[in-house]
Amino acid sequence: MNCKDFENTIHELVSRRVADTTKQLEALEHAGHCLWCALRLDEETKLTEKLQAFASTLQFQRAPARVEEELLRAFRESNSAGSAPLLEIGGKRLRQGLSWGLAFAATVAAAWIMIFLWPHFHPGASDHPNRVANHRPPGASEASRTKPAPVTRATEPARAALKGASPQAAYAWTLERTALGDSASELPTDFISLGTCDDSLCMDEATLVRVSLPAEALLAFGLGTGNDYSPEGSVQADVVLGSDGVPFAIRFVD
Amino acid sequence: MAGLTELQDEQLLRMMQAGNEDAFTALYRRRQGGIYRFVLEMSGSAPLAEDVTQEVFMALIRDNRGYDPARGSLAAYLFGMARHHALRFLKRDKTYVPIPPTWDGSGDSIEVAPGDDPHSALSRRETIHSVRQAILSLPEHYREAVVLCDLNEMSYEDTASVLGCSVGTVRSRLHRGRALLVQKLGVRAETGDEAINPSRCLA
Repeated sequence: MNCKDFENTIHELVSRRVADTTKQLEALEHAGHCLWCALRLDEETKLTEKLQAFASTLQFQRAPARVEEELLRAFRESNSAGSAPLLEIGGKRLRQGLSWGLAFAATVAAAWIMIFLWPHFHPGASDHPNRVANHRPPGASEASRTKPAPVTRATEPARAALKGASPQAAYAWTLERTALGDSASELPTDFISLGTCDDSLCMDEATLVRVSLPAEALLAFGLGTGNDYSPEGSVQADVVLGSDGVPFAIRFVD
Repeated sequence: MAGLTELQDEQLLRMMQAGNEDAFTALYRRRQGGIYRFVLEMSGSAPLAEDVTQEVFMALIRDNRGYDPARGSLAAYLFGMARHHALRFLKRDKTYVPIPPTWDGSGDSIEVAPGDDPHSALSRRETIHSVRQAILSLPEHYREAVVLCDLNEMSYEDTASVLGCSVGTVRSRLHRGRALLVQKLGVRAETGDEAINPSRCLA
């Protein structure tokens, strides 16, 4: 061992950290014949003694008891607060689940209302049969009831609306009434699908035909339930016909 | 509680994380002294040591998942937090260091044993005072190494973990810190008029 090695090990030597006894003996042997290193060992030993004396005066120093009390209180609060978030999370999840459930139920209910009740609540639908009965042309014969009205070509907006509709769906379409040549005095219902159009292609050449139908026809569509409904009367209706003459949808006009 | 004292720090921490108050108490009582003394030795301020000790364990309560066993022992982690807090306080309020030690009187009072010489007791007291002053006057980097390795007898590896540096850096800082203490405390060995210069000894 030379002086440099000794200098590198001197701290371990004086603080008794040298695990290797051979190395320790070598260092001591070197200090035994090297004056400089012997003196270095001496001053490091003195310094260590002083530091240890100082450390011994502090060895029983502790944080005051109030710190422990404070920390224990915080620990208990943390634990009680730790369970609260779990409840909070549960509560949030429950609330989220409930809100989603409610939203879903509301959507389903709204859909059912639209499907089954809309025609009843629609002004044209609810008032229509009565008005038809009231405004039936006097002296109209049974034969004239089925006489087709002048044929009108469906306008582009009407086609577009009919194209997007599912034939199986029993909901009404809303068309632009003015585009169909409706007069301001007419109050048509929404279009009701007849379920005969399987794809949108059948709407390409759709034609709108005004017809006169017996008032009983209203019952087939869930209409004509008003107090002034008269089964003897006739009603005007617009029927959407495909290029092959098959009717796709119908609306009643008052 | 008696059984808990035999458990390792990491085991106590796991129990503490599960809400075991006794485990927390055991861990606190095991480690608070060292942390308190470390800050006291670093700063010379008992109130600061108290605050930092509380902060360290409060942080452990608040975020007890922050400890990573792969990065060192739990003790090193706690000392690291204490160091961080202490340095922050010291930088914020530098009056802590220059002011003469304010730690409570228990450290200053050297009890005189029945057979002890009052003169030697007084001499010891002066020595303690001078060592304390010398340590407090060391630059922070050297002071940390001396306090952890020499006063708290921490291993080089744990000290490196606390200080966030390599073992070699710890040894280097410790060497320089001790060399400064040798100068300040007047323990330098003299050979005649010439002070020892180890660099000259290359045999």
